[in-house]
Amino acid sequence: MILVDIWEGTDPHPEVERFCEMWGIEGTILLDPDASYAQALGIRGVPTNVLVDSDGTIVDVGLVRIDELERAVSRLLQE
Amino acid sequence: MSEFPVGAACRVDAAVDAPSVTLAEIPVGLDPEGVAVDPRRRRAYVACSRADYVAVVDLETNTVLAQITVGGEPIDLAYDAATDRIFTADAHADSVSVVDAETLELVATVPVGMYPSGLTADHESRRIYCGNSLGSTMSVIDLDTLETIATVEAEVGAGAIAFDRTRDLVVCVNFIAASATFVDTKTWQPVGRVDVGSGACAVGVVPERGDCFIVNSLAGTLSRVSLDDFTVREELTVGRAPVGLTVAPAHDRVYVSNRGAGTLSVVGVADGAHWAQLPVGEGPGGVVVDATDGRVYVANAGTGTLSILEDRLAGPPATAAVEERHPLIGQRLPEFSLVDFRTGERRSSAEWAERKYIVNFFASW
Repeated sequence: MILVDIWEGTDPHPEVERFCEMWGIEGTILLDPDASYAQALGIRGVPTNVLVDSDGTIVDVGLVRIDELERAVSRLLQE
Repeated sequence: MSEFPVGAACRVDAAVDAPSVTLAEIPVGLDPEGVAVDPRRRRAYVACSRADYVAVVDLETNTVLAQITVGGEPIDLAYDAATDRIFTADAHADSVSVVDAETLELVATVPVGMYPSGLTADHESRRIYCGNSLGSTMSVIDLDTLETIATVEAEVGAGAIAFDRTRDLVVCVNFIAASATFVDTKTWQPVGRVDVGSGACAVGVVPERGDCFIVNSLAGTLSRVSLDDFTVREELTVGRAPVGLTVAPAHDRVYVSNRGAGTLSVVGVADGAHWAQLPVGEGPGGVVVDATDGRVYVANAGTGTLSILEDRLAGPPATAAVEERHPLIGQRLPEFSLVDFRTGERRSSAEWAERKYIVNFFASW
């Protein structure tokens, strides 16, 4: 999973630091401070998950609830 | 971004059969959350939590008249016409700021519990309730004297609050505990609790039906809870990551802001059906309705704006709202080159080529 931080409005570093510490988040975090990449994808809210297949195709967008995300990931891994 | 330019006083004519029309989307400041309307002055007050101020919006010109500095991270906000005061719950200051709406000056600061994040005024009973998330309590403050009347035990993540004067009840929802606490306003003692969905963060009541609606942001649901026996009657469908809620003045519908979807759901009180998802700004949160004209005000944390909508739905639509398929499904993911938060190096989508993965867009607020 790649996390992409958007819409902080200020320097994202202290905010992301605090957020990761609070929720114990590890792994890759990328910064999209002006949300231009999110905009290119038509992202209108957070959190939003985008599932990508190995050929680079987007297979799902949204998927906030754990149960729906798990189902979608299982489907993706089985393909 | 929205499908129309963000700016002062922009008006967009909706299609004739559109369920809503957006009258304006007004830039207000960083991470706007709580919002209230002052009908007499034709103003809206918006708590901009990352900017530590209240934006005062002139609803005649749709521009920000003033920015009033309050305590750190004002999340929720209420306006009391009788005292002509604006109140904010300042999460990082453990206080409630009190602002004179005439002079637009901070006039008092009331200490409350840790990390206050919800604020609701009962104008008739002359009280204001504050949910203290990390204190796991609810403060009850006299609206006139600003004295703290009681501090009531709730549960961890205590935040949004609603009251039912006919039952002498206050409902405090607890985000982290995923529950709601019911408090007797005669004794200030908890009289019941209920487990709801995870991330419970907004509440509204319809006393004549005995209903309490609770938004569960992480579960992605809306719980209808009985005000009589404190049980969940049903779970209702809304949009992705719902975080805000208000009951329409006619009590026929509730509005739920969906932070994940960037929309506002309209849910019927009687039928529990998801009537529509209305477009608003990005990352919407706080929502209120001006009882004098029915207009809906939504604070959009993503765009830093205040949306003003006219709900055109006369009643339940012929077909219920359906989540539209995202237009990029089936398309190739656009390439990216973004800075890694930990290393400061640029990383591109080429690194993840031939892998299956998830891109999770998030914000820290």
